[in-house]
Amino acid sequence: MSVRSHLGPASIVLALLTVALVLAVRQAAPVLGDAAANAGMARIVFINSTLPRMATALLAGACLALSGALFQQVLRNPLASPTTLGISAGANLALVAVTLFVPGLLGFGRDLVALSGSAAAAGLVFLMGARQKFSAFSLVMSGLVVSLWCGALSAVLMLLNERYLVSLFIWGAGSLSQQSWTIPLSLAPKLAIVCVAVAVILRPLVLNELGDAGARALGVNLGRLRVVAVIAAVALAAFVTSAVGVIGFIGLVAPTIARLAGARRAGAQLVWSTLIGSALLFLTDTTLLATAGTFADFLPTGAVTAIFGSPLLLILLPRLKIRHRLMEAPAPVALKPETARRAARIVLPAAILVLAAALFFGRSPDLGFTLMPPDLAGDLMALRLPRIVAAFFSGAMLAVAGTILQRLTGNEMASPEVLGISAGATLGVAAAVFLVATPGLGAQLGFSALGAFGVLFVIFLIAARSGLQPERVLLAGIALSAMVDAVIGVIGATGDPRAIFLLRWMSGSTYSVTVLAAVLAAVLAVALVGAAGLMRRWLDLLPLGASAAAALGVPVGRARLLLLGLAGLLSAVATMSVGPLSFVGLMAPHLARQLGFVRAAPQLLGGALCGGMLMVAADWLGRSLAYPYEIPAGLVSALVGAPFLIILMRRARG
Amino acid sequence: MPFEMTRRGLLAAGAASLLLPDRAFSAVPQRIVSLDYGLASTLLSLGLVPKAIASRADWDIWVIEPELPAEVADLGSSWEINFEVLESLKPDLILTTPFNEALTPRLETVAPTLTLGVFTVEGGDVLPKAVAATRALAARVEKPQEGEVFIARTEAFFDSCRARIERINAPPLALINFLDARHARIYTSPGLYHNVMQRIGLQNAWSAPGNFWGFETIGIERLAEITDPATRLIAFEPVPADVMPKLEQSPLWQALPFARPGHFAVLPGALMFGMLNDAVRFARLLTDHLEQAA
Repeated sequence: MSVRSHLGPASIVLALLTVALVLAVRQAAPVLGDAAANAGMARIVFINSTLPRMATALLAGACLALSGALFQQVLRNPLASPTTLGISAGANLALVAVTLFVPGLLGFGRDLVALSGSAAAAGLVFLMGARQKFSAFSLVMSGLVVSLWCGALSAVLMLLNERYLVSLFIWGAGSLSQQSWTIPLSLAPKLAIVCVAVAVILRPLVLNELGDAGARALGVNLGRLRVVAVIAAVALAAFVTSAVGVIGFIGLVAPTIARLAGARRAGAQLVWSTLIGSALLFLTDTTLLATAGTFADFLPTGAVTAIFGSPLLLILLPRLKIRHRLMEAPAPVALKPETARRAARIVLPAAILVLAAALFFGRSPDLGFTLMPPDLAGDLMALRLPRIVAAFFSGAMLAVAGTILQRLTGNEMASPEVLGISAGATLGVAAAVFLVATPGLGAQLGFSALGAFGVLFVIFLIAARSGLQPERVLLAGIALSAMVDAVIGVIGATGDPRAIFLLRWMSGSTYSVTVLAAVLAAVLAVALVGAAGLMRRWLDLLPLGASAAAALGVPVGRARLLLLGLAGLLSAVATMSVGPLSFVGLMAPHLARQLGFVRAAPQLLGGALCGGMLMVAADWLGRSLAYPYEIPAGLVSALVGAPFLIILMRRARG
Repeated sequence: MPFEMTRRGLLAAGAASLLLPDRAFSAVPQRIVSLDYGLASTLLSLGLVPKAIASRADWDIWVIEPELPAEVADLGSSWEINFEVLESLKPDLILTTPFNEALTPRLETVAPTLTLGVFTVEGGDVLPKAVAATRALAARVEKPQEGEVFIARTEAFFDSCRARIERINAPPLALINFLDARHARIYTSPGLYHNVMQRIGLQNAWSAPGNFWGFETIGIERLAEITDPATRLIAFEPVPADVMPKLEQSPLWQALPFARPGHFAVLPGALMFGMLNDAVRFARLLTDHLEQAA
């Protein structure tokens, strides 16, 4: 390794640490220099709170960055990070469930509860990954599915138990505030042990860079290598998450900075990522402490890293070299049109049945299940019909958006949420809640549209410079989504009760749909899905690759731009009516393909029907399960959809 | 029999609205529902029982007293009250707060709606706003007499607490809820707790103002900013199970004046975002505790 490849990362670490130390010393000076009357207490706070906090920042940053670097190396995926495998979501779910149902267990140790949750999530991901021989794709895919499922379930539990929300939000947003040395002293040896393990597998990791075939030819046992590296990365992330909560973005940003600064080989990547992550979190936290007086509200460090980290990634994006395609595109399956027709004969009646059941069958005030009583028919129709219409067409729009995105990017995990459109809409509503104080439904709609199109504009701006490469668009979307999560996290951790409103909105409830919104959704859905149908040839040819499609007469640049714009518009409209229900956008295209809708046009229509049906069913379950309390349809669809998707995946490839 | 009277009243109101459609809105409401705990609790003190309230299931955790009659139905979460339940109850008055303003246009299509704000973004002391809201509610349900009696009873109770506190030379107090072993919510101006403390002659040890709900979220180490060694720390239930064991291990906590015996206590909760009944419960819990400790 040349000296030059270390120069860049080293100067970055040095710069970060210098600024951080200046800030830290300025903070410590009054305590160490001054022997005033109050120096006793100030000294105790400095020794037992400020110093351990700094140590925790350094250690947690190192752990997370090393974890992220390991994931990115072993999965050969620049988007991989500790959160991709569902570690934090699993820990979060365990903590939420224990807090609500067996609070006594917390006396046992909050860390232990979170650790078992993340271990369970990781175990589940492993189990699913093992069937696919730990291929990079299957690990990330199962990780995201598990993560979505855990996230949805924790959200449901929190929504039904609002009173505990604040403490869970603080934990989720990752606060580094300390009152003793317990946490840093327990993190340090754990990090040391993992570092030793990583040193042992360093040489095969270097060979892993050659690709599957190359590494195997040199005698590297890829399966075992991945298991060891992933266990190390999972453990690191779990230690941090259970100790101080989710500080997710460091694990994604630090390895990216290291790579951009010139650390290319596996060894240099791991070492410099770790040091950069450590310095980065330390700097963030000292900056936060130095400015703490300026902010009236309590700010958790994890949320702040994400707010500053995600735009950084957006800025770096055009310079990032994407060495590998995200996923191998699924092998094209030759199926006769007969299959699509047979599938349509199943899906169409099923959709009609679900719609009728959702409309006429419901709960009554005495808590039983009942057909619509005739005397209340008018009132109930007026309440249920707009929601069902909006749910159906929004589900359909998300499904079509997902189909377009998956075909456009050749990435099976592309969905409207990954694009960041839903996140933008949520950000718009968050702005509305704080600018207008108590926005009416109209203001909410307006602001969410503004946010959605704002994101669309930013994505175009970033992606246009790089020739609309699908990977860059996805990365931009993920960065934006993380930023929105962070903003919501900050709002939540300040204990502001308006956070509950945002959480509900994010979870995708059809509750506040008006007749006008439902009609609008229906009209726009028909128009936009029709437009997608006109582009079916492009959708059939683009998955073959840019050069092949161009050779067959597809204007690749223009086609990508138009399709991306259409997918964005579809997601924006759907999000405006029923919140960011991204899981349907991920699930319905897969469902349609599994049922036999393989070519673009049938997959668009079949996917739309599946998506609409799923949304309506989810909405009905959400209205009925906890009656008179409501569970948002988006969460229900995620809870029902994730295990379903896993079953389908396993049947298809297992 | 109160039930009979209510039913007769309802029939009368129904007849009145049939005969005089434009007087329907000013008729005395009989079937009242509330989206807010504070307003529902005040309604009970005016001698009226709401037909339904939002989040009824959690009343016994947060409000505790007055006891809610069993026949009060649950409207679901106050964010998303269940309109299928609401419409089947055929209410003639809906009580809500600016907090739920997004729902108001829809509520108004079901029944006349009264919005009363105690915790509002404009800020300002909560207790006077709670008194004003009580008066407005009493006027709307045509119980102005009962309203004045209730307010006078509350003020008299505060006066008696003030007298009891004067006798015992009470220390400054810091009031918190533990969120977890490292974080707490501390109650300060312009909140209900803070206003009641002022009213009954107690000093709040946390002087920085909070948000308009009257609290601030802090790391526990910031409790060291409280410098008066006489200060007593009061935590309200629920306290998560791991908080006390963790704190006892912390040298920082041990160095705080509150770790000394008699300077820290845990009291049962009172609704911090409530109205007069909750203020009274809080004042009683606090005064009783301080007397016992003195």
